[in-house]
Amino acid sequence: MSGFFSQAQQLQAPDVAYQAVLPMLLVLGAACVSVLFEAFLPRERRWGWQVALTVVTLAGAAISLIVYGNDAPKAGVKTFSDVLTIDRPTLFLWGTLLLLAFGAVLLIADRSVEPGGAFVAQAAIRPGTLQDRVQAAKVGMQTEVFPLTLFALGGMMVFCAANDLLTMFVALEVLSLPLYLMAGLARRRRLLSQEAAVKYFLLGAFASAFFLYGIALLYGYAGSVKLADIATAAAGTNRSDTLLFAGMGLLVVGLLFKASVGPFHTWTPDVYQGSPTPVTAFMAACTKVAAFGGILRVLMGAFASTNWEWRGVLWGVAIASMAIGAVLGLTQTDVKRMIAYSSVAHAGFLLVGSIALTSKGVSGTLFYLLAYGLTTVATFGIVSLVRDADGEASHLSQWAGLAKRSPIVAGVFTFLLLALAGIPLTSGFVGKFVVFSAALQSGMAPLVVVALVFSAVAAFFYLRVIVLMYFSEPAADGPTVTVPGAFTTMAITIGALATLVLGVFPSFALDWAGAGGFTF
Amino acid sequence: MTGAELVFVPLGAVALGSSVLVVTTDQLVRAALWLVVALGALAGCFLLLAAELVAWVQVLIYVGAVVVLLLFGIMLTRAPIGRSVDLDSGNRVAALVVALGTAGTLVTVVVGGFRTASIDLGDGSAGSAGTVGAGLFRYWVLPFELLSVLLLAALVGAIVLSRRDIGPRARDGGED
Repeated sequence: MSGFFSQAQQLQAPDVAYQAVLPMLLVLGAACVSVLFEAFLPRERRWGWQVALTVVTLAGAAISLIVYGNDAPKAGVKTFSDVLTIDRPTLFLWGTLLLLAFGAVLLIADRSVEPGGAFVAQAAIRPGTLQDRVQAAKVGMQTEVFPLTLFALGGMMVFCAANDLLTMFVALEVLSLPLYLMAGLARRRRLLSQEAAVKYFLLGAFASAFFLYGIALLYGYAGSVKLADIATAAAGTNRSDTLLFAGMGLLVVGLLFKASVGPFHTWTPDVYQGSPTPVTAFMAACTKVAAFGGILRVLMGAFASTNWEWRGVLWGVAIASMAIGAVLGLTQTDVKRMIAYSSVAHAGFLLVGSIALTSKGVSGTLFYLLAYGLTTVATFGIVSLVRDADGEASHLSQWAGLAKRSPIVAGVFTFLLLALAGIPLTSGFVGKFVVFSAALQSGMAPLVVVALVFSAVAAFFYLRVIVLMYFSEPAADGPTVTVPGAFTTMAITIGALATLVLGVFPSFALDWAGAGGFTF
Repeated sequence: MTGAELVFVPLGAVALGSSVLVVTTDQLVRAALWLVVALGALAGCFLLLAAELVAWVQVLIYVGAVVVLLLFGIMLTRAPIGRSVDLDSGNRVAALVVALGTAGTLVTVVVGGFRTASIDLGDGSAGSAGTVGAGLFRYWVLPFELLSVLLLAALVGAIVLSRRDIGPRARDGGED
């Protein structure tokens, strides 16, 4: 027995920079507390407690991030035996994630737009049965979405700070699994929602397998899963490049899937359409931030020295993504599917910034992520307001003449769509500008020209919706625009205001995004 | 050829042969039992590579838990004992092509990548429980803890999706 304890003392615990990782620990800790709330609070009191806990947690994490960020070392901190790197891009990504998650949580918590909330009261009841019709009239909701949101957020925060592929994989699973679940919990159109969940789960599992196999091959190549070791191995050896590039290919496919970059985007439209709209907002904004944070770190950290070999392939992927998003987006008749294809096109633009592999490219991509995320959260907030008797009226034809019914909602939506299209005085324009100029500087002029062409094509389908809202006659039995409660109003206001502020005075956010580079 | 290699080849052959039988047999219970053989042979391979802990984990989790779960699954559903004629799908040719293609690619990549590589297993302590445990709790403690968070999330999700009427029974719903 004494031998056992003496052995335990020999084991050195890793040093932890608690102050640096406090935001992440707060989020994951609160998720566990939130599970306890589910277990011990009576059902009717859970919603209030969960909302309070989640909001307080996000605020607390944001405060601790700001306090730490003010005097954080510029070179970054490695902690948990170098598993996590808290450098400037990590801090920016964490801040972005917390802000976007706050917006999404406001939408998730809202119970005024859809009476009882956008989530089903009991997910285990089969859709279409008698019980299902009874529960549709009940106001309760499955409050487990709050802990699941926090779990996913914690996973995202680890994902974009992870300094090795193994931690990255575990974080990828932590962020994905709650999203698969939440996609299936819609109150209305439950079959569509469950189909979305199954599709997302199966395709996501497939992508995880790719990611994992890529890690295995890269480990075989470099003898380590740390990004820095892979970079060292790739920089100067006579090892066979088969393993390096096969591994990298598989790894990047897994990452591009999560970021919904075309042609790995096939899940995106179905999942965006089927999921409850607040979850779609969370997924569209936060997952994209986390995934591109990971892509930036992997490309810069492990593969920068071999970029002449693989950059051409990612050029092709970026062009394919922009083309798929812009062209297929034109043919959509459902608002949520249209925004899904728009997100595929945006993923292509983000990839252009990511493969620039310069500090300008990194800061541009980070800014783009912040701007795009805020606009997206507000956009989905608006989408949840236009309703008819069956729930959300997401078919485009139902949006005809919306400006006559509700000039304010139509006006805000127009502004957000212009931001997605990248019109000046919106954050979307600044985002595109910094990303494209970074790409130009690193010698990718042809790619920038292609990207400009596709942003013009994509602008067309945003304008089509604007024209539809302002210049068409409203249908006689058209949808109504719900007056949102405080939560949704707040989420939309934050998103729309940020879109405006980042478009007119972007310099402060650009300074934050460019405050320092990655540390490996 | 060393002694370890002499044992490795037949073990590999057993793993391969029984995996083929898993997908070709038309009796569901036998497929599950062939899976035990395949996974067990793989555990033997791990043991020969001095990956002691991985081998025991393979036995405990895959041979033990996963196969038992499979058998429970079979038992609690239709419990088909004997031949099931409907196990063969019309897509077997396509599945065969995909499987052979994948296997061919993987074998090519691995052989191409590791043709000249060789690892000295040393005294076999690299894969022992002590070494793996020290690495796990010293270097990989964060991912390890994150996995427990993942399991908690999965547990919550399983309860959400499967259990209804927790707490006071809904009087108006009734049972089906």
